[in-house]
Amino acid sequence: MTQAIFSFKGVTDDILNHLSFNIYKNEKVMLFGPSGAGKSSLLFLFNRLRDPKEGKIEFKDRPITEYDISNLRRKVGLLLQSPNLFPGTVLDNLKYGPSLCGEWNPADAKKLLEYVQLPESYLNRKVDQLSGGEQQRVSLGRTLANSPEVLLLDEPTSALDYRTAEEIEEVLEELVDVHQLTMVMVTHDLRQAKRLGERGLFLMDGEIKEDDQIKTMLTEPKTEELKDFIQD
Amino acid sequence: MEPEVSNQSLLFLIVFVLVPLTLSYYYQLGMNKDIVWSAIRGTVQLFVVGYILTFLFDLNPFIGIPLMVSIMIVIATLHARNKGKELPNVFAVILLGLITVEGSVLALWLAFDMIEFRPSEVIPMSGMIIGNSMVAMGLALERMKSEFTENSGRLMAALSLGAKPNQASHLIITKTLNAALIPNVDRLKTIGLVQLPGMMTGLILGGVEPVMAIKYQLVISLSIFSSVSLSAMFITMAMYRYFFNKNDQLLESEEELRTQSK
Repeated sequence: MTQAIFSFKGVTDDILNHLSFNIYKNEKVMLFGPSGAGKSSLLFLFNRLRDPKEGKIEFKDRPITEYDISNLRRKVGLLLQSPNLFPGTVLDNLKYGPSLCGEWNPADAKKLLEYVQLPESYLNRKVDQLSGGEQQRVSLGRTLANSPEVLLLDEPTSALDYRTAEEIEEVLEELVDVHQLTMVMVTHDLRQAKRLGERGLFLMDGEIKEDDQIKTMLTEPKTEELKDFIQD
Repeated sequence: MEPEVSNQSLLFLIVFVLVPLTLSYYYQLGMNKDIVWSAIRGTVQLFVVGYILTFLFDLNPFIGIPLMVSIMIVIATLHARNKGKELPNVFAVILLGLITVEGSVLALWLAFDMIEFRPSEVIPMSGMIIGNSMVAMGLALERMKSEFTENSGRLMAALSLGAKPNQASHLIITKTLNAALIPNVDRLKTIGLVQLPGMMTGLILGGVEPVMAIKYQLVISLSIFSSVSLSAMFITMAMYRYFFNKNDQLLESEEELRTQSK
């Protein structure tokens, strides 16, 4: 696990202050910190939904600005807090990404539903007839349809009840392992961070205050800021 | 019978102002001043326009028509751009849109002998086209802005799946155009059944045969229908791209829209 898939060097914007760190292939990284720390802002830099004002970001040793934006976004998939499904059926949503570049294979629909543990009968269901948890599964399936190498997750379970959140977590855990994805996840839930992550980045006031194994960070925090955050 | 509204009869119109004024007073709506001011302003505006039209109708059509149509287009542009002030180039886009719509409709009218190139025919009919197009553009702009705000999550999701701005905005463009066209379709469906259109009523009151009045009304109603559709389409297709920057990123704040648009 030595090859850096993402490399941030001196990245600065309105919130983030000179961030430098690497993300390695197959890592499960948890980005956590208080509200307004810049977690989502940082996440959106990975797939260029935002650009930094200063600094350099590399994806597989090439500046991300050298990639075709649409191709980069297909490789670096994103799952948002809300499912944000498009009107229509489950199938319409699953095929959205691949169809944009004419790569949709109808046989993939069944496979994608299996990944997110939904029955095949759901394929032609209208998305507004699904529960919150089911919608988030479809959203995850829609992201996976592009066969991403990196999966970005912006608090994907925060709008769900505890039980549904746990089910989504299980789906995620399995998918990340089976597909050998690199995962970067924003969460405010420290228990979730511990369950799903290996490495933690504690972000506060636009700076990374701690970067370590998540379990170590939560049991032996080195900074006062992290200690206070854990206690809160 | 020559239609005639005497000055004395006009004075009695004050009753029609007293009704909303009484309501406002009784229910303390705080609109008394607005009601009186809008009634006076509307009356003065109409009389001034009446005298201007009398003057324009006597002018050479090649001077009177371009002059008045240009004034109407500029005023309509200034009014409609208020609905999208934060968007770059909105004035130029609306101006170009209104010129295109009015130019196309006028060309068709003249090409098919629907009207004659006389100020008394072109100016009132153009006014209806420009006025309705102005409203359609303003509504489309407002609708588009609210759709972009309400659907920012979906747009981010679409962009993150590799969609280009035109692909990501497809849903918004559809919704905006739907909202602009549905009232017009409904209006056409009930035309003459729920209310007699203004132009037709005016012609009938002016002594024109109802069938002839209907022919004119059809020309203007279908022209308005077409120009409203064209205006909504024009403004939507021209402006959606300003909600993104050159790196296919969604711009959400007014400041971003002003400074980073494509």
